Amino acid sequence: MSDLAIVIGTFAISYAVVVGYAGYLHLRHRRAKG
Amino acid sequence: MNRVRILLATAGIAVLTGLWFAFTSPVDRLQGEFSRILNLHAPFMWVAFLAFGVTAFASIMWLIRRTSRWDRLAVSSVELGVVFTATGLFTGMVWGQAVWGRAWDWADPRMASTAVMFFVYIGYLALRRAIPDPEMRAKRSALLGAIAVIQVPLVYFSVNLFRSLHQTQSIRPDGATMPDEMLTALLVNFVAITFLYFALLVGRLHLARLEEASAAETARDPDAVTPPRLSEVKDV
Repeated sequence: MSDLAIVIGTFAISYAVVVGYAGYLHLRHRRAKG
Repeated sequence: MNRVRILLATAGIAVLTGLWFAFTSPVDRLQGEFSRILNLHAPFMWVAFLAFGVTAFASIMWLIRRTSRWDRLAVSSVELGVVFTATGLFTGMVWGQAVWGRAWDWADPRMASTAVMFFVYIGYLALRRAIPDPEMRAKRSALLGAIAVIQVPLVYFSVNLFRSLHQTQSIRPDGATMPDEMLTALLVNFVAITFLYFALLVGRLHLARLEEASAAETARDPDAVTPPRLSEVKDV
């Protein structure tokens, strides 16, 4: 795997974790609103 | 909620700008493409420090004022700090494996102290889940939140105090140890990820208010079905 592919993958995974957390908050928000 | 959406959309644009700078700035001669990861690793760890600092401030304010808004701010910021510490550790491990030839070394004081800090704040979240009474939960977590912040300067200055694989600070009062183009890319990412933290924090606070109101409504509703306390169950 090329160095750049590893770097892009690292960025993608890191931001996927943050976006996943935002999605989790969104689901909790919907549940709290009922 | 619209305010949160606007903030998150703006944070998204800031992050995309940061990505553009990260992938168009020149790379380090020895580290090659892997030096781009530092545009993510350093801002993630900075935001984690900021988040735990905000938690400490909110915890101290709760201990003084005893109002639930400070408790909501403290827990919201811890959650974000844990997320950003996790991603900071991950990016650091990928970079370390590529540049140092090892992803982790317990002998390195920066890595070891960051791991301890990460687990202490996971413990903070576990502590909150273990205490059902809101007042007691807020009190105990405020004490932990106010004390646990001691780790932040320890982690930050560990590279100056002990022998470490990590380099010392690259941005110093007397100037930066990198070319201007790389410094610009790093600073843009610092701003973008800090803005992302504040946008997510506003969203998390909104959720905390909603959940607290919902819990209060459930407590007031006489028809609400609540499970009996263990002490009330005599014959099973």
